[in-house]
Amino acid sequence: MVKLSLYIVSFFTVLFSFSLNNDFEFITSKTEFTAGHPIVLQFSTKTNTTPLLYVSNSFGSTLIIADKNNTVLSYKMPLDIASRAGIINWTLLTKTEQLQGKIKVLPKQSVENIQTYLGPPSIAAGGTDYSMLVAIPTDVYDNPLADNTKVAVTYQFRDQQTVDTIIVNNGISHKTIYSPLKTGRILSSSSCLGFNSKEYTINVMPGPPVNFNIAYKRHHDYADGNQITTFSTSIVKDVYGNTVSDGTYVEFFIKTSKQNIIKTSGTTINGIAVAKMKHPDHANSWSVQAFIEGMAESNRVELEYKSVISNFNIRLSNNNREIAIGPLKSFMGQIIPDGLEVTFFVYSKAKLIATQRKNSIEGYARFKLNPDQFPKGNYTIIVKTAGITKSLEHVVL
Amino acid sequence: MKPTTSNKYLIIALLIGIAFHGTTMFFTLESTYDALIHLFFAEHYSNSWFEPWNYKWYTGFTVMSYPPLVHQSIAALSFIGGLKFGLFIITLISVLLFITGVYRFSLLITADRKVAGYASILAAISSSFVETLHVFGQLPSIIGISVLMHALPEIYLWLKTGRLRYLFTCLSLIAVTVTSHHVTPIFGMIFFIFPLIGLVLMDISKEQQGSIKAVTFKVFLSSFFKIFKRIVSFGALALAIIIGCILPYWINSKNNPITQVPIPHGSRDNFLEITSSGLMFFLIPWGVLLIMLPYIFYRYYSKRYLFFGLSITLLVVLGTGGTTPIPKLLLGDTAFNILTLDRFTLWGSIMALPIFGEFVYRLVEGDLKTLIQKKINAVYHRIIVGIFVSLFIFTSIFTVSLGYFRPSQPQKIKMLPIVNFLNQDQHDQWRYMTLGFGDQMAWLSAQTNAMSVDGNYHSARRLPELTTRPIERLENSKFKGVEGIGSLQQFLTIPEKYNLKYIFSNDKFYDPILYFCGWQRLRQLENGIQVWEKLNVPPLSSILPKDAIAKWQKILWGFVPFLTVLIAFILNIHLLVIRALKTKRKQTPDYLNFKNNYAGFSSRLLKITHIWSIILAIIVGFGVYQFYIKNDSHHSPENAILSYYDALDFKQFEKAHRLINPKSNLSIAQYMLEVSVTDGLLSSYAKLDAISTEIKAKTDTLASAVIKTKWITPLEKIDKTFYKTLVKVKGKWFINPDTVNSDLPPDQFYPNSETSYFNQGRRRITTEQTHHEDVLKQPVLEILSAKLVKHKQSYALIGEVQNIDNVPCDVVLKGTLYNDNNKELATYNAKYHVKHKLMPKEVSSFRIDFEGIAWSKTQDSIPKTFNPDEFTPVAFEEQPTKFNLQVAGNVSGSDLYKKTVLSDVQLLKNTVSGKLFNSGIKEITVPQLLVSYYDASKTLLWVDHMFIKEGIRQQREQYFEYPLHLNSTKVINTSMEHCFVNGLPNAAIANKVVSNRIKNHTHSQLQAINHLIYRYIKIETNAYLGSPN
Repeated sequence: MVKLSLYIVSFFTVLFSFSLNNDFEFITSKTEFTAGHPIVLQFSTKTNTTPLLYVSNSFGSTLIIADKNNTVLSYKMPLDIASRAGIINWTLLTKTEQLQGKIKVLPKQSVENIQTYLGPPSIAAGGTDYSMLVAIPTDVYDNPLADNTKVAVTYQFRDQQTVDTIIVNNGISHKTIYSPLKTGRILSSSSCLGFNSKEYTINVMPGPPVNFNIAYKRHHDYADGNQITTFSTSIVKDVYGNTVSDGTYVEFFIKTSKQNIIKTSGTTINGIAVAKMKHPDHANSWSVQAFIEGMAESNRVELEYKSVISNFNIRLSNNNREIAIGPLKSFMGQIIPDGLEVTFFVYSKAKLIATQRKNSIEGYARFKLNPDQFPKGNYTIIVKTAGITKSLEHVVL
Repeated sequence: MKPTTSNKYLIIALLIGIAFHGTTMFFTLESTYDALIHLFFAEHYSNSWFEPWNYKWYTGFTVMSYPPLVHQSIAALSFIGGLKFGLFIITLISVLLFITGVYRFSLLITADRKVAGYASILAAISSSFVETLHVFGQLPSIIGISVLMHALPEIYLWLKTGRLRYLFTCLSLIAVTVTSHHVTPIFGMIFFIFPLIGLVLMDISKEQQGSIKAVTFKVFLSSFFKIFKRIVSFGALALAIIIGCILPYWINSKNNPITQVPIPHGSRDNFLEITSSGLMFFLIPWGVLLIMLPYIFYRYYSKRYLFFGLSITLLVVLGTGGTTPIPKLLLGDTAFNILTLDRFTLWGSIMALPIFGEFVYRLVEGDLKTLIQKKINAVYHRIIVGIFVSLFIFTSIFTVSLGYFRPSQPQKIKMLPIVNFLNQDQHDQWRYMTLGFGDQMAWLSAQTNAMSVDGNYHSARRLPELTTRPIERLENSKFKGVEGIGSLQQFLTIPEKYNLKYIFSNDKFYDPILYFCGWQRLRQLENGIQVWEKLNVPPLSSILPKDAIAKWQKILWGFVPFLTVLIAFILNIHLLVIRALKTKRKQTPDYLNFKNNYAGFSSRLLKITHIWSIILAIIVGFGVYQFYIKNDSHHSPENAILSYYDALDFKQFEKAHRLINPKSNLSIAQYMLEVSVTDGLLSSYAKLDAISTEIKAKTDTLASAVIKTKWITPLEKIDKTFYKTLVKVKGKWFINPDTVNSDLPPDQFYPNSETSYFNQGRRRITTEQTHHEDVLKQPVLEILSAKLVKHKQSYALIGEVQNIDNVPCDVVLKGTLYNDNNKELATYNAKYHVKHKLMPKEVSSFRIDFEGIAWSKTQDSIPKTFNPDEFTPVAFEEQPTKFNLQVAGNVSGSDLYKKTVLSDVQLLKNTVSGKLFNSGIKEITVPQLLVSYYDASKTLLWVDHMFIKEGIRQQREQYFEYPLHLNSTKVINTSMEHCFVNGLPNAAIANKVVSNRIKNHTHSQLQAINHLIYRYIKIETNAYLGSPN
């Protein structure tokens, strides 16, 4: 309706056409009407002919048949034309020189509806981002109200309520609402001539996060390859002290003693992101730092993991084709929880021909050398677990 | 028998036919290959009889690509009782037409009402007819051949007597034939009408000479010239009718020639190699007729039927498909690849029916009975007849129940929930696609107004993405190997092109590819169908293009088929009435004057038939024995391994467990438990493609095997080698079980907090368009880097994208390449190389490959083996130098599982190994690694990915080995001038939202590697969850 309701503001609100035509004379004196009111254009005539009146406005055109009363021709505008605010051009379709002119229809100054648009529905805190409220009060015929009509914009944020007055210009009124420094919800509405719009919502979201701290929690400091260390951030906030929105992704990078990068991640809840990492299965020292890419980072935290296994046995049986590794014992002498990885490399003439990985079961890892895969010969076997490497040279199969 | 009495055999045949087919059709027809497609066409006519354009399939096609009579008849009947009512009525009519057609054809051939009666009874449940109707559902084809058989006596009479009445009746019937099936009259001319002309000439010659023996070639030739005018006039008029009645069809075929790649069909297979095709397309249709092949040939090669003998020989040979090279030589490559050869077998078996009837008549009550009783004894005769009848009935029952024992279709799907879904919320404003529906997709299409990208009538396909692949439907692409999934993934990666927004999946096999192409699960409907949705797809425009078709064609197409039926009915009605009511003594048709002598069955022929039967029995016996040996899973180590993997492939875990060494004390419960805890691409989404077993060492009781397997998954092809040992226990071979992962997680019961999201959609319950205040803002993304690189011979866009908003976001990346003159060269979307769902502030590396329409250049470059990873780079005619990158974000609350943790990294030579740890509370089904490569100055050069074959259970680890990329990359353009986010320039957005960005923030955390070309890598993880809820 916005574009349709744009009407032409003319300095010539009345165009008086001097009658060059002696047969007809425009006798209606009123040239401004209010939308919806009956509009009758009258002409006096000296002849018997009753020409048609051609009228046209921004919505369309039509022809009107006259109502003749003695020497007066009355042309009544249909409501479709008479209810649209704007200029109506008319032409009296006489055979000779044609009379023509304009009348102006003004919107009714009462509000039936306020078309309101608000966007974007979410903005970032900090006072630079903004949302715009556009209010178009319209009359009963959907005409935008006249320019300079006052519209009150009310908005509420936390315990603060603001009323601003804006005016209709070119059919619309608008208000830029800048974000406050705090997150929250702005509720806004508009009112005009006693009519109130419905409620509209702007969510004020936190801005980019700033640096934060991290901490860790673990049940023990042994590298048992089983327990889990939990990392957590302090409450991550933006520069105005707003807690970042839930779900913000924080990535924890861990540099191991071998300078390898392993990583875990967490998403924030009430600003705190929690990430988990399994304990290493061999002595290690970790240096941990968390990042929110491009925006914020944490302090660096160092962790040490102590070795739980200092030694293990390798037992060969069944013509050396079955190898049992263990017992694998943990820091108190207890059997290590099932699942410690034991890697088993088989070399033939200094060339790696097979790698097998197994998890310990009840303290042991058992490997079988399948005769298809390992034909008879001389092999070197290397076993790695918990950071300890042991090798058996010249294993004859 | 006097001609005026009713033929009780025919009546019995009709009763058997109606009772048998009328009952079974309710259980078989809807799961046949074709019936539902015909139903879909019928639905089209019931909605728009005169408008041939159908928008529902293949982005629009014309129904003028198939003769309309059967479809229009179903459509007309559907106005009374619905589409399925129409389908069943037409089926019954086809049964009646077929049985009476065989009767008339047999009467024409044998000139004996009793024999014809026998033939019609046999026809009612002959295996080829049963198969065509109850397995293939080829209604138009059946009606076509039936009406053609009705036409044959009329043609005979026209040629023989020259009475114009017969010319009109036969032409009217040919018109009906062609409007129901176009191929039937064309080949019918060659295989049925040409021999019939020969028969007429023989009969005329015989009349001239007095005996058939006196007929010489000269006499034959003179007869030919005598009726030459009749033959030519019939031929010319028949041709005119074949062309004229379905003229729009021929015009359409000429305008849209079938230029597509041939679609493999079982009837073209080598039946000895692919025994299932041999069963379907040779053994079943021929059935018991195989036993009497010597008799059939003997009879048809007698002088009078000589031309039928030649014709049936040709049909038998052509019906053997790819078993012998002859059909290909006879038909030529093109015709061989377009035609389905099973129709030749059908026609051959139908042509054999009169002789079959004759044989049975002679066996049951004729001279053969006498001969057997005289030569051997009466008991033997009874036994023979008994065996014969049992075999015949068995083949029919076996055929009709084929769909029950070996379903060719997925279980019947309740369509109503899908139809309702499409009707709701304007879901039909987008196109949809079904996966794993089989031919039932046609039934869904018939019930909804929504349009599908796919379709079920491959001759009408128009999109080059489809016509260049030998696949019938996208729908069942997993059965079509590389071409299938290759085609499918193009549709899934760039669905905007087709306005494809919804996918209904009845097969979880496709789930991973949907996920990694950026689709998200919406919900499961009541009927168990999973709905997938893609964000950022525009709706269909309200006006869609269509091919304009001249009005006269539409009118002709709409009226002529029913008109042909009407005319045929009027012309033949009085004959029918006379025949049915026996109102007047009808003059005997000419062909009844040529009676056969059914006395004195040749005892030599009996002997040959016996020998032939014994040979057949031996072949069948050998086949069955081979089948048994092959299927006895404990017979040999190879068998045990094959059946074990076969059982695993089909998820028959009980069967697999029976192959596990019983001495290993692995209970079925433990076995099932072990199976149930292994999830992942290989164990849940793979289909075994090939397996080769090599037995390395074998003693009497022990064997060890190296098993090389090839698996097809929706994402990639997996080769895996297994080492198994087998033992022989009590004469049977068993497999020793593997050990399971024993990793013990530390926690028994533990909490996990996470943010979850819900999108109301429309807050008001209204069918109006969503109110503007309910429309969510598109989340803001930032392209951190983007560049055009050349890697090997193909071009790609790589870079990083970050969700800088406060809500989780679905990311769609669309890249376009230009040359120096700003000419657009290619456009494509990111497929596997991006995390399609990003949490607030999360970063993902991405890569956009530019894929062309695969194999559009040459047909012969289509690879023979399956590889879903298959990638066809765009063939660039010019050098791409610039790019445009459009990123669109949409709010999404699903598939946000970010708990895949990289818990260990080891650097080996050209390999990075490590472990992924699942730190969350959901099971990861397919973990994915995204690996970015950087040079010494930490410039991003390449992005690669890897799917990990095994899933990861909660608090468990999965080991991986990633081979580093060895090819170098050339950076072509790094200008980010044309990068846009939600349609706005990237730079402006970036400055506004994150004005103080720390550039290359995590570059300090890149993993250094020892590599010739690249110095650093970054590993990101992504995960597909099979059951996210």
